Amino acid sequence: MCLAAALVGVLVFLRKQSLLGESLSHASYPGVVVGVVVASPWITTKNEGLVIAVAVAAGAFVTAWIGLLVIELLQRKVGVRIDAALCFVLSAFFGIGLTIASHVQFTHTTLYLKMLPYLYGQPATMTDVHIVIYGILSLVILLMVILLHKELQAISFDRDFAASLGINVKTIDAVILFLVVLAVVVGIRSVGVVLMSAMLIAPAVAARQWTNNFTMLLIIAALIGLVSGFLGNYLSVEGNRYFSRGDAYWRFALPTGPMIVLVAGVMCILSLLLASERGLLWRKLRALRFRYRCICENILKTLWHFGSENEIALEVVAKYQDISSIYLKFILWRLSSHRWVNNTKPRYYCLTNDGRQWAAKIVRLHRLWELYLADYVGVGVERVHRNAEEMEHIISSEVEEQLTQLLHNPKQDPHDQPIPSKDFVI
Amino acid sequence: MAEEISALQVFQLTVNYDKTPVLWDITLEVPSGVLVGIIGPNGAGKTTFLKAALGLLQPLSGKMTFFGNPLSKVRQRVAYVPQRATVDWDFPITVKDLVLMGRYGRLGVLRWPRKADWAAAYHYLEMVGMAQYGHRQISQLSGGQQQRVFIARALMEEADLYFMDEPFAGIDVASEKTIVELLHRLKEQGKTVCTVHHDLNTVESYFDWVMVLNIRLVACGPVEEVFNATTLNAAYGKSYALFGEALQRSRRKMKGF
Repeated sequence: MCLAAALVGVLVFLRKQSLLGESLSHASYPGVVVGVVVASPWITTKNEGLVIAVAVAAGAFVTAWIGLLVIELLQRKVGVRIDAALCFVLSAFFGIGLTIASHVQFTHTTLYLKMLPYLYGQPATMTDVHIVIYGILSLVILLMVILLHKELQAISFDRDFAASLGINVKTIDAVILFLVVLAVVVGIRSVGVVLMSAMLIAPAVAARQWTNNFTMLLIIAALIGLVSGFLGNYLSVEGNRYFSRGDAYWRFALPTGPMIVLVAGVMCILSLLLASERGLLWRKLRALRFRYRCICENILKTLWHFGSENEIALEVVAKYQDISSIYLKFILWRLSSHRWVNNTKPRYYCLTNDGRQWAAKIVRLHRLWELYLADYVGVGVERVHRNAEEMEHIISSEVEEQLTQLLHNPKQDPHDQPIPSKDFVI
Repeated sequence: MAEEISALQVFQLTVNYDKTPVLWDITLEVPSGVLVGIIGPNGAGKTTFLKAALGLLQPLSGKMTFFGNPLSKVRQRVAYVPQRATVDWDFPITVKDLVLMGRYGRLGVLRWPRKADWAAAYHYLEMVGMAQYGHRQISQLSGGQQQRVFIARALMEEADLYFMDEPFAGIDVASEKTIVELLHRLKEQGKTVCTVHHDLNTVESYFDWVMVLNIRLVACGPVEEVFNATTLNAAYGKSYALFGEALQRSRRKMKGF
């Protein structure tokens, strides 16, 4: 079920309709209530499980579909924006459902207890009947996503182009909405009406951080959904066992539905932070590494300017950098251990051959860029220095090649200073 | 001598938005094997014309035929390059996957792309000069590169009639040159290309046929005959501005019905 919800969630997420799951799951609640009440005459002790499961599924489907139609109606005919329409349907339908439920609480008390699992989910009390029904529905979702894979991708990405190819956009749209409602119906027994939308969106968001390919996105989201389902169940069972050992104060019930959602949520946060390219952590690390390299290059440049053979005092270097003295000492230590710099006397540094090469390259890039700005872009000579200070760290060797060609291998920059040649050898 | 079938024939096409016309009573004919530039002021209905041609919009009235047939019969001979701005560039899709999409129409439902389709995708990527970017996610491309990839996707359809919506908007000079060369290659192969264009300065050098729209058809014909001061004044000038303003007011009043 979590797998099916995750697959549908990807579709909804990519079409920027993420709140639709939330609205529809809340809209399905009155259907659950009414469905059970309407089916109550047919319930016997033997078929109770089956009848209720079918009644709930049918009722949820009907009211969720009605909710969908109301959303469309509000948008098309009344001119309400999508976010307001979604909110309205969510709260109105859910309110109706709760009102009816509170009445049913007194008229059909035993039935009312049967409805509660659908509010917050209670996979622990699911029977074989449930598993068969939801299993079949999940399989339907899986099959449709696989069979219509290309069309779903084309329509979600570029609707007009897909239509121009002859793909029947209206039908596929209807199919997607049908799948969303189906996923909601399948999922509300496991995670409940209130939390259902998390199972649609969290796996999709998490999976997006790991891949740029539509098929892989579906697969990874499905896996994350599956893992959340299993781990959620496992942790809930083990956790309950663990917590019920102690005294009453420390007793903690870990309901399964919310546990599944929590696991999915944690996987989502971890993906956002740690995923290889887009993850927040890696982006921060890359930014810090770049800044570190900039500082190294600036220090080497400073040493170069004072005469590449000389030994420069620490204080002199410090005057031209904008960092704390501890960090400066640390970087100088790292530079000397990597042999870019020689620490000849305490607090005195001088460039090695390698260091000289690197510094010369940076100075070359700096001056090439200044010349380009001054001669081709028309920036005033006084202002080119500032921009070149940034660009010298960024220019790649391809751009350097193009600059050299464009400027005809120049020897002097706008400030009449010599440009180190490409093969700068002592 | 065999009679030449026009690539596109439009007869009294009228397209409405709510109750006001966006295109009104358009009748024209475009021969095959020409590069057509569709020009007109903003809001003239140029994009609407393209969308109506491709069946993306329901016209109020009118008939369009392509090579003498309705669109449903010859859909595989007509290709579309939509505006770049309409697409979500953060979508999880790489350049090569995007180009492959051009084959989806021909494959139909329940069929998967084969090796031949992938080979064709790389072939057309090379033709637009984007072969080395195959694995990039599309948001990492510049505007001109994105446009070229869009065109490669349309080339995949191997159609006879191409509709392009503002392909030269906001792209770099190198990409623009590549695209213009591509258009001329298509013309040499006898294809017809209708391009919505915004830059009047380049119309004469890029196209040999011109369609001037401003809700009504102002003119349609070879560029030497049609592209002159009279036509442009009629399309862009003040006399038409009144017509446009009247329509705007009508649109506002009738909104929502």
